[in-house]
Amino acid sequence: MLKTKYKRLKGSQILRQRLLLATLSHTPVLIEDIRTDETWPGLRPHEVSFLRLMEKICDDSFIEINETGTKLKYKPGIVMGGRHLVHDCGTSRAIGYFLEPLIVLALFGRKPLSINLKGITNDSKDPSVDTFKSTTLPMLKHFGVDLKDVVLKIESRGVPPHGGGEVTLTLPTVKSLSAISWTEEGMVKSIRGVSFSTRVSSQFEHAMITSARGVFNRLLPDVHIFTDHRKGPQAGNSPGFGISLVAETTKGCFISADTTVSYGHAGESTEFEEEKKELPPPEDIGEQMAYALLGEINQGGVVDSTHQGLLFLLCALCPADVSKVRVGKLTPYGIETLRNIEDFLKVMFNIEADPSNGTVVLKCVGSGMINLSRKHS
Amino acid sequence: SKWKESLLERTISRQHVNLMKHVYGGKSTQTSTTSRDEGDDDEESDDDHFFRPKGEGNKNESKAVDGANASSEDYSKFTNFFNDNNVESIRDRFVTGDWSKAALR
Repeated sequence: MLKTKYKRLKGSQILRQRLLLATLSHTPVLIEDIRTDETWPGLRPHEVSFLRLMEKICDDSFIEINETGTKLKYKPGIVMGGRHLVHDCGTSRAIGYFLEPLIVLALFGRKPLSINLKGITNDSKDPSVDTFKSTTLPMLKHFGVDLKDVVLKIESRGVPPHGGGEVTLTLPTVKSLSAISWTEEGMVKSIRGVSFSTRVSSQFEHAMITSARGVFNRLLPDVHIFTDHRKGPQAGNSPGFGISLVAETTKGCFISADTTVSYGHAGESTEFEEEKKELPPPEDIGEQMAYALLGEINQGGVVDSTHQGLLFLLCALCPADVSKVRVGKLTPYGIETLRNIEDFLKVMFNIEADPSNGTVVLKCVGSGMINLSRKHS
Repeated sequence: SKWKESLLERTISRQHVNLMKHVYGGKSTQTSTTSRDEGDDDEESDDDHFFRPKGEGNKNESKAVDGANASSEDYSKFTNFFNDNNVESIRDRFVTGDWSKAALR
């Protein structure tokens, strides 16, 4: 019996991505020093919840956490997928936190995945489920994933602090992704969006839309922002409202921006107490997000700043073929992703800046990832 | 004035040269005089076992939504706000703008 050799890592940075890459590359990892110096040391509830989710969709994986949660041993198993799974994501992070690694993992599963995720659907920290629908999932098309099998249904919405939202995600499996050359961002031809509110008046939605339109109408006539008013059990447990905007370009790129306003996460520090009394007016939020979207459009690149990490990851998981993509300024998360990819998959990107418009062109040869466990039907 | 323009251009191009090094960390520790560190101050020290490239402060400068990057927490969401009040400056990124200019990109 061979003794398992663990890859030793330190710290809590980008834990979910490390676990994702460890699973895909079949690398057992041992992570030490997880928040050892903090008042509340160890793994956070959402990180534990993510580990449980991994356990649910994988077979034969092994997870060991020490008593204080500062040390984690993880031996990946085989990604199984499966139908009618249910997972409670808790309320410390939004469902977006779980979806990001999950959509990559599920593609390399044995069976197609359909899972019901409960928790916070919209918050200000993670990409909202609307953004996943409008931007993230369509991105998979470029890598050869058939979008007709990709479904994300928002059953009910939930905002912090108490959540209560629910989504159903269905994803197919792939044999392998296909390498891309995706450098033309095109011009913005339309702007779409969804504004929603839970447990507050539907006027909030209209106010956000009106102010957002006020910004866009100077640039583009084709602006449609839909409303999604939820009430009763479909509105979750907490009041809040938010908006998600997406710009589509002539080359089929989607650039997104979203935010949610609510009374903050449970157990957050007291500096938010002041804000708890009053939420910012919806007019301001609508306008703010419109300018955030313009900011992303101004950056250039085929994806927005939020999706850089996922884009690099998908490129690195392609067959041994050259991929070429263009993004705006590299984000800290994007940079961490590049380092993690090099660490686990041994894929190094060639990064070149394009000084003429401030974008960055990245080239890489994929790691040649092939889904060996996929079941043929 | 005119002499400043070429200087600015050169500064920008020089900053971009080291992107590979920014990300993967170069073996040679060539300190570029053009890199600015001002954004690094607000970084928490809890991720100090990672190599912190010098120029990265520039990238963190943009106004991120409430603390999206202030801690080592695991956030992929990143927002760049459009600070310029003159929306005409990005008209060429829209179909209503100048298509020939956009083709040059």
